[in-house]
Amino acid sequence: MNVWAKVISRILIALMIWTPYQIATAAMIGTDQVVASSSQADRTTVLNFLSRSDVANKLQSLGLDPATASDRVAAMTDQEVQSLAGRINSMPAGAMSTGAAVLLIIVIAAAVWWFWQR
Amino acid sequence: MQNARWLAGVFILATLCGCAGLFPQTASLRQTLAPELHRKVELKDVPFFPQSEYQCGPAALATVLNEAGVKVTPDDLVPEVYLPERKGSLQIEMLAAPRRHGLVSYQLAPRFADVLTEIAAGNPVIVLQNFGQDSWHYAVAVGYDYYWGKLYLRSGETERQVMPFAVSEVVWMKGGYWSMVVLPPDRIPATAEESRWLSAVAALERPDPRAARTAYQTFLKRWPESVNAYIGLANTHYAAGELREAEAVLRRAAQRAPDSVIVLNNLAQILADDGRDAEALQVIDRAAALGGPFAGAVEETRKAIRARFKK
Repeated sequence: MNVWAKVISRILIALMIWTPYQIATAAMIGTDQVVASSSQADRTTVLNFLSRSDVANKLQSLGLDPATASDRVAAMTDQEVQSLAGRINSMPAGAMSTGAAVLLIIVIAAAVWWFWQR
Repeated sequence: MQNARWLAGVFILATLCGCAGLFPQTASLRQTLAPELHRKVELKDVPFFPQSEYQCGPAALATVLNEAGVKVTPDDLVPEVYLPERKGSLQIEMLAAPRRHGLVSYQLAPRFADVLTEIAAGNPVIVLQNFGQDSWHYAVAVGYDYYWGKLYLRSGETERQVMPFAVSEVVWMKGGYWSMVVLPPDRIPATAEESRWLSAVAALERPDPRAARTAYQTFLKRWPESVNAYIGLANTHYAAGELREAEAVLRRAAQRAPDSVIVLNNLAQILADDGRDAEALQVIDRAAALGGPFAGAVEETRKAIRARFKK
C-alpha cells in the first residue's frame, strides 16, 4: 500500500512538472534548445522529462514537500536539471554560520601573511 | 659550498612561486583589472540581512534581490533555496530562484577582475567561499579598495567585512571561483559575454516570459545581429498568444539569417496557428530542404501542418 502510494505520488509529481512544458513547446523549437548549442536537441526532451522528476524526488528526500520541490525544479534550465540529476549529494551547499567563518578567516589570513613574509 | 648556495636559491624561488601560486589572480590583478578601475568603490546602499543559522544562501540572495529592486526577506527565500537535509543552499538553486522573481541571474566567469568590474558597475556579487572541508559559505561582495587590496563583503552576521584580496581569493578558489550577479531584465552585467548572457536570459523564459521579453529586447539593443535572441523574443510572444508580433519578430530574424532552420520552423508553426496553412507549408518545406540537427523537429512540424492542410 505504502509502496503504491509512493509510486503514484511520484507519477503525479512527474506529470505536474511535465504538463506545462508539453503545452508550451507544441511544435516550436524552444530557445533553451537553441542556446544549449548541442547537436542532441531531439534526445534532450525525453531525458529532461526523466531528470526533472528525478531531481524533484531528490529534493523531496532532502526535506522538501512535493509542491515546493516541483516549483523549484520549474525554475531550472534543462542543463541545470541535468547536472543536478547526477550529483546532487556531492555538490557544495553554502551553509556555514559565521562564528566559524570569522575564526577561519583569521587563521587563513595569518597563514597567508606568514607565507608572504618568508 | 656553491651547491649549497644553489640549493638555497632553488628553495627561495620555490617558496616565492608557491606563495604567488596561493593566490594567482590577486598577483596578476594589476594586468587583468582595467586601469580605470584601479580605485576604491563601495556600494554603501546595498542592504544587509544578517543570516540566521546555516541560512547564508537566503540571506545573500535577499541582499542582491533587494538591490535589483525586488523586496523580499531571507525568510521568503528559505522555501526557494534552502535544503533542510543539507543544511545549506545549492549553487544551481541560487541561480534558479531569482528567475521566479522576474530577474536574470548570471554566473560570472571565474575571474577576480570580473567580480571587481561588476562591483564598480554597481552590481553586488555573490561569491561562494570555502573554509576547509565541507564548510561552504555565500557572501556578497559590495566594494573594494584596489590600493589597499581589500574586499568589502556583507557576510553572515557581519554587515561590513573587510577581507584582503589574497585571503578572499584563497577562500574563493576551492569552489572553482564561483560567483553570480542578479539583474533586472532591462540591464546587462558589465562583464556579460554574448552567448552566456543569452543563455541566462533564455533561462528566464519559462519562469517569467514577460520579464524574459524585456530581457531579450535589452539584449537586442546591445547585440542587434543575434538571431537566437530574435528566436527567443518571438517565443515569448508566442507563449503569450501574440501570433502577429511573434511573426513580425521572426520575419526580421529571417532577413538576417534566411537559412536558419529554427527561424523557418517556428515561423511555419506560427503561420499555421494563424490559419495560413498554405504559407506555412511553403516555409516548412524550405526548412526541411535545409536539413541539419533540427531536422527531426522540422519533420514533426511539417507532418502536423500537412495533416491540418488536408482537413
